[in-house]
Amino acid sequence: MPSLTGHISIIVLVLLFVESRASQGAPPGSQLDVNHKKPLQTFRPYNIAHRGSNGELPEETEAAYLRAIEEGADFIETDILSSKDGHLVCFHDVTLDATTDVANRTEFADRKRTYEVQGENMTGWFVVDFTLKELKSLRVKQRFSFRDQRYNGKYQIITFEEFILIALYAERIVGIYPEIKNPVFINQHVKWSNGKKFEDKFVETLLKYGYKGEYMSGDWLKQPLFIQSFAPTSLIYISNMTKSPKVFLIDDTTIPTQDTNQSYYEITSNAYLAFIRNYVIGIGPWKDTIVPPKDNYLGQPTDLVARAHALNLQVHPYTFRNENSYLHFNFHQDPYVEYEYWLNEIGVDGLFTDFTGSLHKYQEWTTPYPKKKKNAEALLHEIANMLKDDGYGA
Amino acid sequence: MASLTGHISIIVLVLLFVESRANQGAPPRSQLDVNHKKPLQTFRPYNIAHRGSNGELPEETEAAYLRAIEEGADFIETDILSSKDGHLICFHDVTLDATTDVANWTEFADRKRTYEVQGENMTGWFVVDFTLKELKSLRVKQRFSFRDQRYNGKYQIITFEEFILIALYAERIVGIYPEIKNPVFINQHVKWSNGKKFEDKFVETLLKYGYKGEYMSEDWLKQPLFIQSFAPTSLIYISNMTKSPKVFLIDDTTIPTQDTNQSYYEITSNAYLAFIRNYVVGIGPWKDTIVPPKDNYLGQPTDLVARAHALNLQVHPYTFRNENSYLHFNFHQDPYVEYEYWLNEIGVDGLFTDFTGSLHKYQEWTTPYPK
Repeated sequence: MPSLTGHISIIVLVLLFVESRASQGAPPGSQLDVNHKKPLQTFRPYNIAHRGSNGELPEETEAAYLRAIEEGADFIETDILSSKDGHLVCFHDVTLDATTDVANRTEFADRKRTYEVQGENMTGWFVVDFTLKELKSLRVKQRFSFRDQRYNGKYQIITFEEFILIALYAERIVGIYPEIKNPVFINQHVKWSNGKKFEDKFVETLLKYGYKGEYMSGDWLKQPLFIQSFAPTSLIYISNMTKSPKVFLIDDTTIPTQDTNQSYYEITSNAYLAFIRNYVIGIGPWKDTIVPPKDNYLGQPTDLVARAHALNLQVHPYTFRNENSYLHFNFHQDPYVEYEYWLNEIGVDGLFTDFTGSLHKYQEWTTPYPKKKKNAEALLHEIANMLKDDGYGA
Repeated sequence: MASLTGHISIIVLVLLFVESRANQGAPPRSQLDVNHKKPLQTFRPYNIAHRGSNGELPEETEAAYLRAIEEGADFIETDILSSKDGHLICFHDVTLDATTDVANWTEFADRKRTYEVQGENMTGWFVVDFTLKELKSLRVKQRFSFRDQRYNGKYQIITFEEFILIALYAERIVGIYPEIKNPVFINQHVKWSNGKKFEDKFVETLLKYGYKGEYMSEDWLKQPLFIQSFAPTSLIYISNMTKSPKVFLIDDTTIPTQDTNQSYYEITSNAYLAFIRNYVVGIGPWKDTIVPPKDNYLGQPTDLVARAHALNLQVHPYTFRNENSYLHFNFHQDPYVEYEYWLNEIGVDGLFTDFTGSLHKYQEWTTPYPK
């Protein structure tokens, strides 16, 4: 018996070897030669590097993005704001306090202000009060005290264009996932010439670098892109300017939309989802509104994912973090168990994670890239295993 | 190509089917029938459930051990101390304060004491001042405030014998890894009849339940066992009583051995390791002495593992925990990256972990059971 299976194995192996020789790999790709870069994976949910690999490095810096690409990100994600002189920058907060050394700069000591942001007063050093040159003089620091502090003071804020170039110069196809952030606030404080506003400049930048094409089109697969925003009118406004896929972000249940003042319940209603489906291909909710927790345990899941999927809307929840303080007890302080739950039980289409490497490992170990070459042999093994599992064989 | 592979597949399927019919699956197994239980895995480093699955459940309880077995532990680990009336129990600290509700019991309010333990004064409710019945009246709680508190007050302290039965009644072969804990202290405070001491009672219990045989012998594979202790004289003392494999635990660099007052540097010297190799199959060091950290980053690894392996000593470091406060920054707050480092780069032979399930997943995903 073993010798027969042995002979079959050899035959299969020889046939596979002959087949592989016939289709040799493509020559090495130049960095902007998208035709020869390893393509974006589209067979499993997207690994979205939230602010880059910011679990390890200060958020939204070149270093954080390079690290995320190194660790296997499908998309690098960023938040776009504007400097005083209208340059689009990668930065999450409207204030510089939490993630830069602005407080240590005597030359900016008098630049502190109080503004209203989404209905609440906020005090700090506002991005919109600094020119790009001034922003570039600052150095970024790690937001969370429990994360690695050793890179504080090393990196600058980068521009939207610099971010795009990081993606385009990667050795494989890497998508970008920029957010039109706080557009109401930005448009109040920053004016561009020719009557342009923030959303116009945002899309212009993408068009300048050749981002185009509907989701999963040939153009899109060469330069993958999702445009995200919490502000539905911004997404609708740009829908004439670009066919690139857009994602509607949804905040916590208590936060109304900044532009239309609509509640969580309204914007997650079937009627609204059907409406916004005309403009976006997915939603990006805060994960604790999809499955509200109770006493740090998962509570009853809502039906949001099912209703979104019924409308052919993707769901990309945020945000996944390794630290145990962020993990509900069901997950036993194990971020991989959290991934397992969201990808397998809830069944979402992408995850915004602070820990690109961990999500990549999880996906590689549990749903690895299918290996074409080994299909036949793998199939034979799989069948043998299936029989064994059913109780046949020793 | 496709049709040839298709034909081959069918042939193989038919042959497998015919072969399987020939040896029908074994009859359902009784729980103590070791000959039909799924055996202990021995092809990859051991997953040692440190105090049971205590990342999820209060340590050293039946629930924590059952969970660990469910999650795939190779060995369930425990610390053996003694009650006032000489019953061996599973409990880590010599005091009851941190992991039981003893402080809430008015009838024990006057039982607080101060004793010297390994050269330092300690105050609390000491295990050795309570009878087994009294210990059984207490309820265990989760030691760490950042872990799940919802099982506090539900479980009792268990005895060494109850622990052994949990392992023996598992549906697959599960090893045990008990520690002769604080033997100097125990023998000072608890006396047994017939001149027996703590180590005697410890081994008697194991012999009573049939634990025997050298490492990897048939007897051992049916009932796997490692005996561990920080006290070398205890391990040497029992070496005539049982051939079961023993592991010499090594504490932090500043802590001398409780019985022989020897320093870390002495007991990890080549000469001492060669000496203790006559009595033990492995060492169990605190991992931060194998690779001392600096600013929460891994520092330069020492050569302890290499020297131990050169003497054919296994290395089972402690303790691996998922919480980011325990993870050096090299690991990016990812416990699986820590496993990867210790199993692949350092190359140890077993890990004491508080999170049995996580280690099991890591091992299953990266070094699955060979098919």
